[in-house]
Amino acid sequence: MIDLTPRKLHLLDSYEDGRDARHFSFRIDFPQAHDLATMPGQFFMLAVPGVGEAPFTYVSPPNLYGHFNALIRRMGNLTDALFALRPGDTLGYRGPFGKGWPLFFSPRRVLVVAGGCGLAPLAGLIDEASREHLSSRLSVVYGARRDEDQILARERLRWKLAIPFIETLDDAAAGQRRGTPLDHFDEVFATVQPDTLLCCGPESLMLGAARASVEHGIQPSRIWVSLERRMHCGVGLCGHCYIGASYACLDGPTYRYDRFLALTGATDSCAAPALQRC
Amino acid sequence: MSTHELAEVERLRRHLAQSRRLYEVRDDGQGGRHWQEVGPKDFTPLEPEGDPPPFSAKLFFFAERELLFRFDGGQFYSSLPEVRPQAIFGLHACDLQAIAYQDRFFAQDPHYQARRHATLLVGVECRESCSNGFCSLVESGPLVGDGLADLVLVRRDDARGWWLRVGSAAGAEAIRELRLPTNLDGCQATRESNAARVALAQLHDRELLDGVAALNAGQVSADTWETLGTHCFGCSGCTQVCPTCSCFAPLEQVGASGEVQHERVWDSCLYEGFQAEASGHNPSASPGQRVQRFWLHKFGEPFREQFGHYGCVGCGRCDRVCPGGIGVHGVIGEVGRP
Repeated sequence: MIDLTPRKLHLLDSYEDGRDARHFSFRIDFPQAHDLATMPGQFFMLAVPGVGEAPFTYVSPPNLYGHFNALIRRMGNLTDALFALRPGDTLGYRGPFGKGWPLFFSPRRVLVVAGGCGLAPLAGLIDEASREHLSSRLSVVYGARRDEDQILARERLRWKLAIPFIETLDDAAAGQRRGTPLDHFDEVFATVQPDTLLCCGPESLMLGAARASVEHGIQPSRIWVSLERRMHCGVGLCGHCYIGASYACLDGPTYRYDRFLALTGATDSCAAPALQRC
Repeated sequence: MSTHELAEVERLRRHLAQSRRLYEVRDDGQGGRHWQEVGPKDFTPLEPEGDPPPFSAKLFFFAERELLFRFDGGQFYSSLPEVRPQAIFGLHACDLQAIAYQDRFFAQDPHYQARRHATLLVGVECRESCSNGFCSLVESGPLVGDGLADLVLVRRDDARGWWLRVGSAAGAEAIRELRLPTNLDGCQATRESNAARVALAQLHDRELLDGVAALNAGQVSADTWETLGTHCFGCSGCTQVCPTCSCFAPLEQVGASGEVQHERVWDSCLYEGFQAEASGHNPSASPGQRVQRFWLHKFGEPFREQFGHYGCVGCGRCDRVCPGGIGVHGVIGEVGRP
């Protein structure tokens, strides 16, 4: 039987990390063995007592002591309440839930494309690649509207020393790359020749990146996207996160692109309306 | 499965009500019919025929509103229901099929299963088709499928009472003290006759199957869905009465003492905000998309593959309740027309 009751979670600390975004450190009370099996790209349900529960992704998964990090943007009532809390306050935790990113670097050449807060679900994977000395197999293109919209500032400093990491801004200053990640695809594909795409960001960005990658020769079955959906239970019961006959909390949020297209009844050439409608 | 003679069905009901809460559909005196508790000294004759009750029996297992957990400021506490043994008496085959569907959907839900395990299901097989029903077309009636009920009542044609079919060990144990004589002479012939009569009466609904085929073939255009969507009031009537609908939303409240109670309440995929995210993004923003989703959930092949049955059991409640005329006949009957 599933357990719908949260476990106790301690707020350890937080700091500003992007516009309206904070980087939180949490500790699970009495961590369990399955906490260590958390995969990058999975999510957890955070309970803010008196407000409710909402899904968030991990920047770093729980360690032996139950410590983990999450990047959270202030977006509604629950995050308003969360941002008002102080270190030591008690929250609730359920997870990990959903499917994470595939971890299959060698011998693949992986392109990671992220937009805005979409970098957060990919952070654990980028860290994993850096630690395992697979940096030559992984490249990142990270886009944001303005520099203040960029997140994970400390992590990006570290990653830029280890792996090819392109940053691009819609509103770029002199000396900065301008445009969306797609504007740099020709350059990226010419230099690193990726055969796999992992993408997270606004759906329009993911759609565009997936289609452009297909045009550059990546098979739809080598493309993964991470879909955001409203989730209340995290265990496939409340019904809110449906995508076709699938529930994002169980079968996602990470979907293989060809399976996602099949779910929404679209082909990659006409996925735009499907993405808008799904 | 054993079959017994039962001269007086009310005797069975009184017996079952002695050791458990028993619920049966009764008139409320104001033109409505509801599930009501019936005591062990109740002699009111059973009236099993006619349309199924406005509300199915799902509320006995998937509560319309229930506490999931509470938080006292320091700890979270689970809140599983404490359920006394109960019997649901007089369930039609369609509603029993719906319970089987939800049994699979909520197989790992401790709240649902706590209630379900405490419940004896007593079915009754219909002899006539109800006014909006098409159970024979979706293989959910009028005969009660094996294993879907603990006990099943079959009315004899000769006005000499009933047959009582035992469908489970719990059912056998529940009637053991009644010492009913075993007799299945004529039972199967009566059942087959009932099935044929109901199927014949529902033959005119075969156009619904064309609609199901069109739905699954992706032949229903977005424009058609949007046109149907204009008829949706977003009232949630269909999802309330549908015996397989299972969506819920959280409801968190803080009491005067500061204790937090986290409940779940029935929700509806027809509500505009059902999928709306905090960012403002709404993947199902148009009424047509939501109407399409509802019917895909009821008749989509991927769901049938997953649950072994359509999400629609042919009870026709949505037709009766929808103010916009887009119940199952108004939608599935419509989209199958060339």
